[in-house]
Amino acid sequence: MLIHPTNPKWLNSREAAITLMLVPCALIAMLPFIWMIFASLKTGAEIRQLPATFWPNQITWGNYQRILSDPRLPLGLYYKNSFIVASISTALTLFTSSLFGYILAQFTFQGRNLLFGFILATMILPFQVTMIPSYLILLKLGLLYKLWGLILPAGISSFGIFLMRQFSLAIPTDLLDAARIDGASEWRIFGRIVVPLLSPAIASLGLLSFMSHWNAYLWPLIVLKDDTRTLPIILTWYSNQHGTRIELTMAAAVLISIPILIVFLFCQKWLVKGITLTGLR
Amino acid sequence: MSLFTATLNKTIHTGKRSFVWQSLAPLLVYFAIFSLLPIIWALCLMFFEYSPRRDGYDFLLGLGKDNPFVGLKHFKAMLQGTSKEISSFQLSLKNSLLFSSLVLPLNIVLSLCLALLIESIPQRLRILFRTLFFLPVLSSSVAVAIMWGYLLHPQYGLVNNLISSALGELTVISWLADPRLSLFGIPVAMLAVVVAYLWQDLGYNLIIFTAAIQALPKQFAEAAQIDGASAWQCFRFIKLPLLYPTIALTSIFTLISAFQVFDLIEVLTDGGPFDQTKVLVLDIYNNAFRFERMGFASAESFVLFLIVFFLSLLQLRILRQRWSY
Repeated sequence: MLIHPTNPKWLNSREAAITLMLVPCALIAMLPFIWMIFASLKTGAEIRQLPATFWPNQITWGNYQRILSDPRLPLGLYYKNSFIVASISTALTLFTSSLFGYILAQFTFQGRNLLFGFILATMILPFQVTMIPSYLILLKLGLLYKLWGLILPAGISSFGIFLMRQFSLAIPTDLLDAARIDGASEWRIFGRIVVPLLSPAIASLGLLSFMSHWNAYLWPLIVLKDDTRTLPIILTWYSNQHGTRIELTMAAAVLISIPILIVFLFCQKWLVKGITLTGLR
Repeated sequence: MSLFTATLNKTIHTGKRSFVWQSLAPLLVYFAIFSLLPIIWALCLMFFEYSPRRDGYDFLLGLGKDNPFVGLKHFKAMLQGTSKEISSFQLSLKNSLLFSSLVLPLNIVLSLCLALLIESIPQRLRILFRTLFFLPVLSSSVAVAIMWGYLLHPQYGLVNNLISSALGELTVISWLADPRLSLFGIPVAMLAVVVAYLWQDLGYNLIIFTAAIQALPKQFAEAAQIDGASAWQCFRFIKLPLLYPTIALTSIFTLISAFQVFDLIEVLTDGGPFDQTKVLVLDIYNNAFRFERMGFASAESFVLFLIVFFLSLLQLRILRQRWSY
């Protein structure tokens, strides 16, 4: 078994057997998606037909047409909201994390270790602990039910600061000093030397943060309403409105979740890198 | 020359100093408002009866007066109280413990097995399978909940239709809504929620385990193979022990996030039937934002914090431990 000649093009019998075991697992993993997409292509009558059909008898695009032309569901607006929230929160997080992390790693000042220790301590705090006061702060600031109210608290992250500090430690101080002697200003050094060196970490953190803001549910549920709602909130709202029209709910779920899923799929490599690098959930 | 160096040094030094304070000051203010203040406020709130509609003495936190200080009342009540909100809290804590203890072993065993299988096939297929199992991780949990709600639909769901066609008679099982159903003493609704959660969450640990398996040193397994060890022995006595640290850490991450589950359950069952799937965060959410009992909700979230804190301490111990082989 050890010294068998391996043909790189073909599976040997052991690999073939394992692949055969994996295929049904993968099918089960894909089944909910397939079931959702097929349901969105069925007519209401076919959905309620017993026994249920798996393949649609007759493919219909009516459900999609109805959702896209529903005046009570301006999907474009909610896509825009989700995009604004996720991209601005991510950009802010990346900026504050890399600057804060870089300063903690490469500069000495009074209270630095205390500050870093405090940031480490806040990292283990579950979001649910600070959720109530954060809501109250937005209430006092008059930011409740506004997109900025969602974005501002999300724009600074202890975890991001910690991650960027770890990566900034690896930047050689001599390199920064050389730039200083050449007369570069500190902001220029940050923008032209530090940020490019941190870019792999920035890409991973950025994608993970974008994904988690895009899919976030609990916090937007608390601080948004009406026209400022984001896609996950809209999806539950729509599904509650059309409890008996499963085909419509499924078409809405497809429209809301599939496009971004494809985008994330293309970024998979970086996301995987981010997860293995950070263990972030 | 030395004068030049001294001036240069000084310029650089003042440049650094002013940069630190220029950039750190706004960052610190930002951090104070949105990270520090919520923590302080949360620490205060759990000793008060609080609703944002009522007035307090001070302008900022609104504590006191109509939001009275009650000391340790909430925590005492959690231990001995019998009111409706207390029994709801106790039930939700129990449900969270049940949920996490079901999720943990299933998640670790399944994702580790899948990772081992995936790692023993050629590269191209490996990437394909990993992508397929990773898709649910990328999806929003609301969409996942809606998919599973339909899969488990009593009449039109795929699961019941498969059972019906296997048994040859119409079977209507209300997986998510029938409080009488249970299996080994565990409510079926809870099991259904666990299955949906596992389906979405497996991909995470799969990624971590595949990375860990790839990083395993090859020489031990090869030496064992030369000595005639079987594939099982090779796994049981070489790969598995080498993976122990990863398994331990992954278990803790899995537990921490299972204790914080909310989205999936809120959409799938909203805690029902008869509170059988009401978990801690759902109870915190209800108390804080549906019933405006923010003081009690803060005390509950402190309990959640204690659980996460304890798990994080365990994690530190695992990280510090010297693993020797």
